[in-house]
Amino acid sequence: MAERTTFRLRVRFGKLGRLRHLSHLEVMRALERSIRRADLPYAVTQGFSPHMKAAFGPALPVGTAGLREYYDLWLRELVPAPEALARLAAATPPGMAPGAARYVPEKAPSLSAALTIARYEVGVGPAVGPEMLVRAVEDVLAESELTVKAKGKTKVFDLASVLPEEPRVESSGSGSTVVLTTRMGATGSLRPEALVGRALECAGLPHAITTVTRTDLLMETEGGFMRP
Amino acid sequence: MRDDMWARVEPLLDGVERPARYLDSEWGVRVRPDASYRVALVYPDTYELGMANQAVAILYDILNEVDGVAAERCFVPWKDMAAAMRAADVPLHTLETLQPLRDCALVGVTLPHELTYTNVLEMLDLAGIPLRSVDRGEDDPLVIAGGPCAFNPEPIASFLDAVLVGEGEEAVLELVEADRAVIEAGGTRADRLRALSGVPGVYVPTLYVSADGSAQPGCGAVVPADAATPRMVTKRALKDLGSVRPPTCPVVPYMDVVHDRAVVEVLRGCTRGCRFCQAGMVYRPVRERGADDIVHDVMATLRCTGHDEVSLVSLSTTDHSQIEEVLRRLSRSLEGRAVSVSLPSLRVDSFGVEMARLVAGGGKKAGLTFAPEAGTQRLRDVINKNITEEDLLGTIEHAFGAGWRRVKLYFMLGLPSETDDDIRGIGRLVHKVLDVARENTPKDQRGGLKIGVSVATFVPKPHTPFQWEPQLTLPEVRRRQEILREAMPRRGVDLSWHDPDVSFLEGALARGGRELSDVIEKAWRSGCVFDAWTEEFSLPRWLAAFESAGIDPVALASSERDPADALPWDHISSGVSKRYLLRERERAVAGVTTRDCSFDGCTGCDACGDLGLDIVLGGASRG
Ligand code: SF4
Repeated sequence: MAERTTFRLRVRFGKLGRLRHLSHLEVMRALERSIRRADLPYAVTQGFSPHMKAAFGPALPVGTAGLREYYDLWLRELVPAPEALARLAAATPPGMAPGAARYVPEKAPSLSAALTIARYEVGVGPAVGPEMLVRAVEDVLAESELTVKAKGKTKVFDLASVLPEEPRVESSGSGSTVVLTTRMGATGSLRPEALVGRALECAGLPHAITTVTRTDLLMETEGGFMRP
Repeated sequence: MRDDMWARVEPLLDGVERPARYLDSEWGVRVRPDASYRVALVYPDTYELGMANQAVAILYDILNEVDGVAAERCFVPWKDMAAAMRAADVPLHTLETLQPLRDCALVGVTLPHELTYTNVLEMLDLAGIPLRSVDRGEDDPLVIAGGPCAFNPEPIASFLDAVLVGEGEEAVLELVEADRAVIEAGGTRADRLRALSGVPGVYVPTLYVSADGSAQPGCGAVVPADAATPRMVTKRALKDLGSVRPPTCPVVPYMDVVHDRAVVEVLRGCTRGCRFCQAGMVYRPVRERGADDIVHDVMATLRCTGHDEVSLVSLSTTDHSQIEEVLRRLSRSLEGRAVSVSLPSLRVDSFGVEMARLVAGGGKKAGLTFAPEAGTQRLRDVINKNITEEDLLGTIEHAFGAGWRRVKLYFMLGLPSETDDDIRGIGRLVHKVLDVARENTPKDQRGGLKIGVSVATFVPKPHTPFQWEPQLTLPEVRRRQEILREAMPRRGVDLSWHDPDVSFLEGALARGGRELSDVIEKAWRSGCVFDAWTEEFSLPRWLAAFESAGIDPVALASSERDPADALPWDHISSGVSKRYLLRERERAVAGVTTRDCSFDGCTGCDACGDLGLDIVLGGASRG
């Protein structure tokens, strides 16, 4: 069979509420099912075990929520984007509801390659006061490297390169929030709770992290950061 | 209330494996906060196993259609979550509205096999419900069980308030209606139980006593304690599957559950008459759904769930009289969608392979599975497995010729009358299968050729012609395994065993009586839970529990029973008469086979007459 023309639809979605406890694999499978329920004319890969042609942005770990996550879906027929969005919305659990859909050029770089910048908010409970938190974060940032041990592996991050923007602490009603931007590199990506956790640990403060939310995923261009 | 409870549960999730087990909020959940009568549907194992259970899905669908009734799911939390819940004093609750089980009107438990018994106790304990029926008070829910184990409920009867025997679609509605009427009238718990025992197919253990207190374990009749209670509880069965609407919008899990796919039932029952098979005896007669209904439900279920695979399930799907038509229609409708159809089991003939070819299309060929069960014709005649060596070898030739490269064969060790030569016969048969497979495989592909051989220990089950037979003792199993190992081809075979320790326990629990409640409780108290999980199972702990209860599990599993003695499940009827079972037993001894009554005329098991049923083929009664 000759390759047929396909249309590449980029969908923005969330991973919210209880669903933050899902794994990346679980999220992908659930979204593929919602696409089938929406009865969109999805393209199918060629080969021995054909499957839906879709590609997802960088994975979110179990426990981390996401406000602006993305996937690309290839369609066999052009369905007007607003209609595709409405059909997806009607077929997706509220915690993963799609927020926007638009067509992107077939040649656009893949989401996983393009989205190298992530913004996070790490919630810290009232057990740690905002001033203490500010100082703790500053102390960690004073070092040039951060060593993270996870699952038996040790990774060393060069803070200047993984943190393209200065993290800041905001105080909210019931505690405070560390707002930070990370750059995903070839050596992997720094988990924001690892940085905040280390800050709390070094300052002898309780591990009071309550929530981790990825608020944005961005592409890095010469002119700065851009949404996909 | 719901939010309060979630606020207590959510912090526990950060520290446990696979939190997706505890989230709810899947596509297709039914949340009915205003219902006045709440039913918890429990599967006594983890979420990923329970979500594959069709009975739970069916009852969930049916009960949530009833005004004022809510049915919600509950599974047994894994050990890490159970410990966290105990430490935080969070009671076991349903997923949908986080209702503590002890505040539900009814807790309905499916009992798929004996190895879930300790999980039932774990569930009750986590819920704060007294373990034994006699210790429960007016405010406790009624705990009702159903499923395959209901056909001998005695071992676990002390922990249950009632047992529903047979198919639940109609009975569960009658049962809930009867209970609501009693509650409305201000009745007591005793009134509720009495009302349940009036529903056909419902057994209320506290209304029955053992006829002979001194009876041997595993022997002795159970009789009603008073004249108002039925002497015999007869299974429920639907006359025609076309009369109930199967669930086409079931809950779609996030987690990678066992059998993660859409399921459509194509027929119920199986009348091939294998003498070791409990399902084949107790779910008689065969009732097929019509091809139109099946095709419609497949398409509706796929649309509603978004699954990419649908399984056509039953005890013997390729025996459906219209299966070829169904598969052809489905492959046309599903063209180009990357959605696949699967068949759980295949019959051993070319037709079976052709059906597998139809569902595989041009795509991936998953392995094929066949169950000759025994290695010699003599023994296959004893067990009434009506396939010959030629059938099997012809099927293998066909399958490898059609491009399959993997097959798996199922056998049983310790079938009644088995000799060492029968065991070597398995080896001889596998040799021949391997030869035929090689001959029908292109030379360059022969290197990686493997035949899977899976061997289980035969466990005699209640309500079968072999219910009086002894099970092999463990040392004897080991001796026979050695013989089999030596008889197997050295190369090209992957031999695997179903753990004989587990089969031994299954055997001891399957044919016991009410005296086993003490053993089960002691086992659970000593830490037995999730016994169906290989790494959790501990035979020594179970043996200690038997010993401290003063019951010999070897005698229970491995001594032959006298057909003249009463059995602990004699008061439960599957419709198949004891007379028929005895006759089948005699025919087994004589090596005489019995035909399939769905196609070759009634063989007199009495299920149809006693239950007012008939064989239904292609959705229409044979008449
Ligand atoms: S009564 Fe006859 S036809 Fe009905 S299931 Fe039994 S053997 Fe088959």
